[in-house]
Amino acid sequence: MDASPGQVGGTPRWHAAVAHTADVGVRATAPDPRALLEEAAAALAELSADVSQAKRRRPEAIEVRADDLPALTFAWLNELIGLADARGEALVEARMEDLESTPDGWLARGTAGFAAYDADVRPRLQVKAATFHRLKVAREGEGWALEAYFDV
Amino acid sequence: MTAPAAKRHSATLERIDAFRWRIPRSAQEGMRVDGLVFADDSLIEPLRGDPCLNQVANVATLPGIIGNSLGMPDLHWGYGFPIGGVAAFAVDEGVVSPGGIGFDINCGVRLLRSDLEIADIKRAADQLADALFRAVPGGVGAHTGRRLDRVELDDVLRQGAAWPVAAGHGTADDLLVTEEGGCLDGADPSQLSERARLRGANQLGTLGSGNHFLEVQVVDRLLDPPTAAVLGLHAGQITVMIHCGSRGLGHQVCTDHVAVMDRAVHRYAITIPDRQLACVPLGSPEAHAYLGAMAAAANFAWANRQLITDAVRRTFASVFGPHHALPLVYDVSHNMAKFERHHVDGREVDLCVHRKGATRAFPAGHPGVPDAYREIGQPVLIPGDMGRSSIVGVGLPGAMAETFGSTCHGAGRTMSRHAALRQLRGVNLVDELRHDGIVVRVDRRGLLAEEASVAYKDVEAVVRVAAGAGHVRPVARLRPVVVVKG
Repeated sequence: MDASPGQVGGTPRWHAAVAHTADVGVRATAPDPRALLEEAAAALAELSADVSQAKRRRPEAIEVRADDLPALTFAWLNELIGLADARGEALVEARMEDLESTPDGWLARGTAGFAAYDADVRPRLQVKAATFHRLKVAREGEGWALEAYFDV
Repeated sequence: MTAPAAKRHSATLERIDAFRWRIPRSAQEGMRVDGLVFADDSLIEPLRGDPCLNQVANVATLPGIIGNSLGMPDLHWGYGFPIGGVAAFAVDEGVVSPGGIGFDINCGVRLLRSDLEIADIKRAADQLADALFRAVPGGVGAHTGRRLDRVELDDVLRQGAAWPVAAGHGTADDLLVTEEGGCLDGADPSQLSERARLRGANQLGTLGSGNHFLEVQVVDRLLDPPTAAVLGLHAGQITVMIHCGSRGLGHQVCTDHVAVMDRAVHRYAITIPDRQLACVPLGSPEAHAYLGAMAAAANFAWANRQLITDAVRRTFASVFGPHHALPLVYDVSHNMAKFERHHVDGREVDLCVHRKGATRAFPAGHPGVPDAYREIGQPVLIPGDMGRSSIVGVGLPGAMAETFGSTCHGAGRTMSRHAALRQLRGVNLVDELRHDGIVVRVDRRGLLAEEASVAYKDVEAVVRVAAGAGHVRPVARLRPVVVVKG
């Protein structure tokens, strides 16, 4: 998986695959948690299928809640995986429109676009789930960094 | 609560004998029992410094663990539990951990035997490969095109393999030689989320992707002819091996309940060194909910393998004619928690045995072994890789004494998918396998490199350790002839 385009100044938006004996991991950086979770979703989409030529479908709304940021990441990525599998389609992209810390934990609202598998959308890996194994979401320098592992 | 990351355990490994290594409980804070890894010198060397040894130690910290935290000879790095990990928990003070069972609940293997010989297949290998590839949906996003309604899905979740058999997709004899008769007690469909139902409703009868496969094999070596005869196996005979699990339904069950337990673990004041080990006390409402959902997902997996079996039988009939039965030899589960009675310190105790990437291996005489095999022990099916071989064995008393009746479930990976792809860049594996007499059909060519022999340990080396440790007696070696990958 190649790194995605970064941004000028600050922590770049970036992601890459991390080797794991049986499964597969991703590492991502971004200037803030909202962008970081979008970047993790982009990494997941790239792992799952070649979606570079995909024509994005009508976005589907997503809302997930969790007690802390790692749990929110687990919920966010698994929501995307579950939706894609239930639809039998490939995740193309996900946008997080709102991320807020509330007294009850974290709440994220966003949208995800999916595309049917066809000549333009070729599957790569069957991602079964995101795991908590070595899941890290933390400040790094002036930005944020994430490491997550998927069962494949 | 998550404890600090554990140190690496290569330095703390203590050799016990030629097949056993101990990670003493003093090696890591919080370990309640020792880690015990089954490996010889050749298998242990690549594991030194590997995270899987930390995972064996991490599992040893879980409340109520009994005996040792066990690593089978195919041990490798997983998430939470290692793959090839076995742990048993006391029912009164132990825990259940969905991460100790895995996302693909009741992923397993079944073996069919035929009355065809290798010469019959050689003449029709390509035709058979094409027909099997068409008959069994596989690959990412695979579905059957038919969505089960709510009542049908509930019936599958409660009845397991009996559901397709009742509909004419198998025989009563199939159920007799399936672990647990193809149906785990205690299934509770009400514990499944709507998302789990949605993911599973059109995936029943599909192979999936990754390391799942359908292989036509030939018995190329008998290692224990009298036992092979009881299993109905003879040299030169064609067999079919099916490896798959509970598909998206099972994945979602695990996801849902890991999230629940991640929140609950604090309430029960359980400290875990890896959040994926999230667990709750057996007997708690969360445990009851998970075990009901897990059993339902396990039943879905058995129904899945039964429907694939039916598709394979119909395909063989279409290629070779209707008079070639394909009886089921056995069906084993890999990823499951089961309540079993074992001897511990001279007492019979009820335990919840977690097997993650591990196979049950009960010995001769055990009531859990089907009548047909009671005198030889439970058949143990150990798939290798698509370029080499798989092994059929039977469980031995040593497994009951040491591993709660468990052994290895396969060869075990040695390298990541990325590393395998890099190493095999430019190699035409389809041609190479054909040169070796193996016809392959695959949904995605890149998958072949990820699943190539180079990415796996040699299953014969793995089984030598299981046999040397007294857990399994090898009976027959099977060599692939046709490989269908999703």
